[in-house]
Amino acid sequence: MNALRPSAPSARDPARAGGRRALSFLADLSQSLAVSLDLKTTLKPALARIMDFMQAEGASLFLLDPATNLLECKICAGPVDIVGLKLEVGQGVVGRSVAENAPQRVDDARRDARVNARVDAETGFVTRAILCVPLATAQGPIGALEIINRRDGGAFDEDDAEVLRLIAAPMALAINNARLALEVAEQQRIRREMLLARTIQKSLLPKRRRGRFPLIGVNLPAHEISGDFYDYFDLPDGRLAFFIGDISGKGLDAAFLMVRVASLLRWSGGDAPAPAAWLTEVNAELCRTLQNGRFVCAVVGIYDRNKRAAIVANAGFPPALLDDGKDFVELPADGPPLGIVKEAQYGERAIDLGASALYLFSDGATDVREDARSRLGADGLRGLIRRYAALAPEPRLRALLGELKRRRLVDDTTLLLLQEPRGSEVRELLALRFPARPIEMRAVRAALRAALDAEEVSPELRDRLVLVVDEACTNIIRHAYCHESGEVAPDCECGSIALRATREHDMLSFELRDEAPAVDPARIKPRDLSECRPGGLGVAFIDATMDVWRVEALAGGRGNRLIMQKRLAPKSENE
Amino acid sequence: MNGNECVSETLGDYVLVRLKGEVDLSWSQQVRRAILDALGDTGKVGVELSEVSYIDSSGIAALVEGFQNARSRNQKFGLVGVSAAVMAVLQLARLDRVFPIFADLDAARSA
Repeated sequence: MNALRPSAPSARDPARAGGRRALSFLADLSQSLAVSLDLKTTLKPALARIMDFMQAEGASLFLLDPATNLLECKICAGPVDIVGLKLEVGQGVVGRSVAENAPQRVDDARRDARVNARVDAETGFVTRAILCVPLATAQGPIGALEIINRRDGGAFDEDDAEVLRLIAAPMALAINNARLALEVAEQQRIRREMLLARTIQKSLLPKRRRGRFPLIGVNLPAHEISGDFYDYFDLPDGRLAFFIGDISGKGLDAAFLMVRVASLLRWSGGDAPAPAAWLTEVNAELCRTLQNGRFVCAVVGIYDRNKRAAIVANAGFPPALLDDGKDFVELPADGPPLGIVKEAQYGERAIDLGASALYLFSDGATDVREDARSRLGADGLRGLIRRYAALAPEPRLRALLGELKRRRLVDDTTLLLLQEPRGSEVRELLALRFPARPIEMRAVRAALRAALDAEEVSPELRDRLVLVVDEACTNIIRHAYCHESGEVAPDCECGSIALRATREHDMLSFELRDEAPAVDPARIKPRDLSECRPGGLGVAFIDATMDVWRVEALAGGRGNRLIMQKRLAPKSENE
Repeated sequence: MNGNECVSETLGDYVLVRLKGEVDLSWSQQVRRAILDALGDTGKVGVELSEVSYIDSSGIAALVEGFQNARSRNQKFGLVGVSAAVMAVLQLARLDRVFPIFADLDAARSA
């Protein structure tokens, strides 16, 4: 075996000494390539070391661009800089080594048809000998490693080819690793940015209002980011403004546009324009600025809770559905989508909402796929709405969303529901303030009895509730205001008691406030009714009658508040 | 005139305390004293409740106190002609089986 150049052959066993040297070089090279995934910092010194180790005059590294299928010189060492030189696969020595995934050896470049003479002609360099090996991976060659001209003027031999092949292996591995790492990092970066974009988008959607608020919206993006939007906000005159929209097209630019259009609608709606004028203004602005055939479908509306009346205007959005529990009324578009026709005029519609529900939904809601072929469609959506009609607005919207999610979403899906929550008003049945004297109680009982009769509370329950409220009042007189015996002198400057009875749906609430020194709620406990003794029955009556009750000391150490609640049993069918 | 009335009638060895109207804290002390006075007079006491349209826990307490006093002195004590309104409260207080309850005066006197 010929000694590996440029070994200083050992006298004893030149081949083994050369082999050991090559192995040690390979180990060093592999290690230097492994220190960083940054190819720019690792490959260039590595290539210079390879050139020196192989005793060559020049070395170059070509990488294959899978997109163009061209080989490009990325790094070179030696007197001629050919970085940026591009070759087709199969072209020249480098192109062939990649095309054939095999080493190419040129012993006399001037007489070899594989050699491209152009570089020499341009640089004045004289290429004599070439050795080129592919950078092989499991997925095929990703480039080639080439060395030029042995420094001793001779040709490269088979041993040189074998050593260069061995050297190419860790380089290919390093390049492949770095590329994969880059891909993963890029994917992670894109994912992070998409999630960030989604977070920003979500933050633009209005927060769900607590309590009994008539608007609820949901947005379900088909991918990370959405071109749909909705918003609602309070107007200075107490009415509510709302809108929902859908940007044509998908992707990042639709998402960016969504942010702009939502801001524009919000800004333009701030001074409570009539919905038609609102759309006209936003349309004019969007016509000035929208590009690439983009447009926006939207519904805007203003709702007066006191009158339960809404005015809406629809610009190319799917027809709104007004559901009175029996029939659906479709409210079609009042004009074209925004951003198309500069002079477009929009109509608007008044809706007497009453107890009805107004559904606004982007076409994603009807585009969900039942199976491979069929869309849910408007009829399908109506069917789902009917199925969950008995639910309160929020659980109903959740149920609808669950149904849509079970199918396949193909587009961003957004729903906005306008409906007054059922039984939303807390009605006051009675409000009295009276001196904390037993003599007052007869009139208080009469007033409460009449109020409960007006609510058609059954006589048995009515009498119980009157008794319990009376007991609560007399407890306040006796214990909070300290008239134990119930005998209050006529000239006593006693405090007062405020009684408020309210009804919310089937829940009756009774609130008693006094101005007596704060009592310790923990000391007010019902007694055991099974023992027969004269006192302490009042709290037991309260406890046995009411569903819940509690006493709170009011802030400031003066005054107490007793809350008692009783849910009325639902009336049976034949009542 | 609020319709409240507390009248004691003596019928031989039987004292009947007749209550009318709404028995509440504003005059239940008066009722209590009438019942305790009646027990001081004689052996048998009845409280007539047929015209009581309302009674609160202070009224019930007066009845309980009368019943307990009578028992400690081996006297007879009963409720007579209990109205539905009073019965509902007695039931709520689980006292409907504690008091001897009579439909009318004859039944109460012969008991």
